[in-house]
Amino acid sequence: MISTDHLNLSTSMNKLKTISKLLVVLAASSLVLSCRKAIVEPYKKWGFNSPDYFPAPVYNFENNKQDFKKFTLGRALFYDPLLSSDGTVSCASCHANSHAFAGHNTALSPGVNNLVGTRNSPSIVNLAWSPSFMWDGGINHIEVMPIAPLTNPVEMNESLANIILKLKASERYKKLFREAYGTEEVTDQRILKSLAQFMMMIVSNNSKYDQMKRGEVSFTATEQQGYSLFQQKCSQCHTEPLFTDYSFRNNGLDLTFSDQGRYLITQQSNDLGKFKVPTLRNVLMTYPYMHDGRFYTINQVLEHYNTGVKHTSTLDPLLDNGIPLTASEKTQIIAFLRTLNDDNILTDYWLSEPKE
Amino acid sequence: MKNTFKLGVTALVLTIAVACKKEKIEPTTPTTGTDVVTLKIEHTWQDSLEFALNTDLVNPLTGDSLNFTTFKYYISNIRLKKNDGTWWTQPNSYFLLDLANGTTPSVQLTGVPYGEYTDVEYVLGVDSTRNVSGAQDGALSPSLGMFWSWNSGYIMLKAEGLSPDASMGGSFAYHLGGFSGSNNVVTTKSHTFVGNSLSVTGNGNCQIHLSAAPQTLWQTAGSVSMNSMIHMPGSGAKTMADDFYGSFEFEHIHE
Repeated sequence: MISTDHLNLSTSMNKLKTISKLLVVLAASSLVLSCRKAIVEPYKKWGFNSPDYFPAPVYNFENNKQDFKKFTLGRALFYDPLLSSDGTVSCASCHANSHAFAGHNTALSPGVNNLVGTRNSPSIVNLAWSPSFMWDGGINHIEVMPIAPLTNPVEMNESLANIILKLKASERYKKLFREAYGTEEVTDQRILKSLAQFMMMIVSNNSKYDQMKRGEVSFTATEQQGYSLFQQKCSQCHTEPLFTDYSFRNNGLDLTFSDQGRYLITQQSNDLGKFKVPTLRNVLMTYPYMHDGRFYTINQVLEHYNTGVKHTSTLDPLLDNGIPLTASEKTQIIAFLRTLNDDNILTDYWLSEPKE
Repeated sequence: MKNTFKLGVTALVLTIAVACKKEKIEPTTPTTGTDVVTLKIEHTWQDSLEFALNTDLVNPLTGDSLNFTTFKYYISNIRLKKNDGTWWTQPNSYFLLDLANGTTPSVQLTGVPYGEYTDVEYVLGVDSTRNVSGAQDGALSPSLGMFWSWNSGYIMLKAEGLSPDASMGGSFAYHLGGFSGSNNVVTTKSHTFVGNSLSVTGNGNCQIHLSAAPQTLWQTAGSVSMNSMIHMPGSGAKTMADDFYGSFEFEHIHE
């Protein structure tokens, strides 16, 4: 009896042992799996991704080949207020991933000492396809674009030479530069090419519109009606799939130009009051609108095209009669514009602020 | 074993040392090889005086009193013509001449093959390619303060200073550049050595001397009282750059 009991006991003990072993193995493997999810999966996703319905990028990757370590340096620089004169403003201050890389929904974005400039901070998604930069197109290459906000007295107010000194003194950056370029040497070219590596990766290509283009989802009836209206009335300038044709146009905001726009670059009188056509990707997230952020809502924008267009000699001919829109047409167009929201870039691991 | 190895190494080093020495000592005239040629640009004022920064000068063309605090400009794409008609082109040939470091700046042309040279060619300014190709390094680093941040392109010449005659509160600042269309200031210059030829034979003393005259900036533009500030490409920048670039002359060669 005892012996049987003992036998039973030992059998149950053995069973328990086996089960607990199994549990341990299971726990360990799930740990491995969850770790893999946290670290390996985003890494797999890293890389420049151009959908087949996008045109070829303008940026020449041949001269700055995609490199994870250079990207990592660029990502650190993008989020680092050390690059500003008083250590308070980073690139991300005015191009926040939480706001589709535009400003924090303010007309003008404060720089050092709360100084402000005259133009709205635009969303910087899909710059790999942009042939020019800034509202007036004055900058001809993404690699030299950061020089403007870095050195502008009302933005980051710092000199490239001083940024180099500050980075040289940082143990964190010594490591990042060495990993990216093989030596600790800090040059403006290395800084600028690394920032370009990061900015090239800010690609918005996973909105509902994109999913529709790829046949993964369908538009609702209202979205489809809005899309048709958009193609009739808006897409001449806000050309698909990047939703800008990168041209400079006067969209009838003013009778006199306190900001002369493209004219400041070309000195050609027929460029007075012209600004770059902005992308409409994530447009509902990136209010306020226009080069100076004068319109806070998308309704105000549509109403401007409906009834507010002002006639001057450089007004875009497409807007001679404005863009007549009924209330229901506006609703439909806004329903379509909502399909351009791309939540992925708001939460993309690789585009977020890195941990030191 | 160790000793044998040491001996071997010593022998090898000796052989190399002897080989190197041999090459240097032998006074034969080699037919192939390269040497350094120095290009010097002397800056003159009123054709005879030496130009100087932080010095009171009077412009003979306009009568303006001028005291330069900054004078720098780019020279690039330097080439030398051989007597057989072929060209030697210096690779990655970009130099920022800063007259704060002396008013007869020089540029070292390294790797010039031995031969007889009859002409020099160079570009004043920075070619359009380098203005549109993103972040550059070396003499073209944007951190040198010779790149417009808001309207991409190189400031190809920067002349700043003080003048009681200036329209802008006693100072002048000319930032001249522009690489496209009618605003293009980039100028290719070439000079023949007027019947002489520069023999590059490896003596290390070859020099080409040029001269330039800063007062010619105002040759067409007129007095600083008319316009004492230019900070973007345009007709004003083009006029001043063209006039100054036009003042470059060949002086002589040395061997």
